Amino acid sequence: MSTFNLEIVTPTRILDAGEVSYVRCPGTDGSFGVMASHREAVIGLDVGEIKVTQGGKDSFYATSGGFAEITDEKVQLLVETVEKSSEIDSNRAEASMQRSKDRIAGKVDADMDRAEVALLRAINRLRVSNR
Amino acid sequence: MANLKDIRDRIKSVKSIQKVTKAMKMVAAAKMRRAQENMEQARPYSSRLTDIIQNLLPDVDRGLLPLLNVREVKRVAYVVVTSDKGLAGSFNSSVLRKSQNEIDELGKENVDVFCIGKKARDHYKSRGYTIIESHVDFWGNLNFNHAIKIGNGIVSHFLNGKVDEIHVVYNQFVSVASQMVLTEQLLPLEYEADENTVIDRLYEPSKDEIVKSLVPRHLNVQMWKYLLESYSSEQAARMVAMENATTNSEDMIKDLTLEFNKARQATITTEMLEIVSGAEALKG
Repeated sequence: MSTFNLEIVTPTRILDAGEVSYVRCPGTDGSFGVMASHREAVIGLDVGEIKVTQGGKDSFYATSGGFAEITDEKVQLLVETVEKSSEIDSNRAEASMQRSKDRIAGKVDADMDRAEVALLRAINRLRVSNR
Repeated sequence: MANLKDIRDRIKSVKSIQKVTKAMKMVAAAKMRRAQENMEQARPYSSRLTDIIQNLLPDVDRGLLPLLNVREVKRVAYVVVTSDKGLAGSFNSSVLRKSQNEIDELGKENVDVFCIGKKARDHYKSRGYTIIESHVDFWGNLNFNHAIKIGNGIVSHFLNGKVDEIHVVYNQFVSVASQMVLTEQLLPLEYEADENTVIDRLYEPSKDEIVKSLVPRHLNVQMWKYLLESYSSEQAARMVAMENATTNSEDMIKDLTLEFNKARQATITTEMLEIVSGAEALKG
């Protein structure tokens, strides 16, 4: 199976995934998959799960959104945060889910939009951590 | 000539100062290495984002996003990035000098100031400038969230129409030995219209949507870059300043030791003279 180079770039670190055969990303218009020789594109990413297939093995990452830039040479995911499923602290994710739920329920004065995004992120991280 | 005890005390105090400057130098060197690593990690993200933006923006109408609006400039904001602590050579003073010159040129009353770091806050507070926000005491555990928080305050000031342009004055890290004070325009975004780079690319959901979510991220990253550059520069400047201080104290110890020896010899000579002349006098 032909492969392509994948890099996951965040403002604080670079995750060089190396040669992979498939990556599935949470696009803003729905999830999409990329294989080798995809056409050049820039696609917005939402909060969600990134699935990477490398040498027949799948690995999962949680992200809070960003962009995918697909060029002839490689695929770069420019995302604000990325966490490998095994790195996620599910206790912390659970705590932050509870916090944002409280906010939404109106127990604490808070910015609704921000609380909702935080809740989405927490749920996403929990889901990915169970992979 | 100063007496022996005075000189001995001075040598002692210079030596203890030297110990402090040496330690500070070492601490600054370690912090700088870490800051530099952070900077290198941040570079690919920001440069890719900038590339995409530069490719996209010429195709997009400035009316699409308030962040892109170019308004008649009535009021300007300055973001002044300094450190919390001193003892870093001309690091803070050069930023403050440059920013104040530029602000005064526009007129103090037409400018809002955002102060990053205690040095900027103290400087502009005591001189009665209009300070909108100050951010202090975060350099020790600098992370991306600080950039987002600071950025949000600045951006909303622009979006609320309080100011029509935002400039940032900060130290750019060139090398350990040199830092450059720069003024950059943060908002409205500047870009060059380039007609001949048409790339066949797919944009999803659409160019406009991408720009809408890209620009705020770009600003966060820009802010993060300013903070990292400034932090690395601060540590580099402090390292060099402390290195110089250590060398200077070395020289000072040398001079003082020479003076001490001279004074000691002079005392011995005087004592000898006294003894000899006393003996002479006894002989009669």
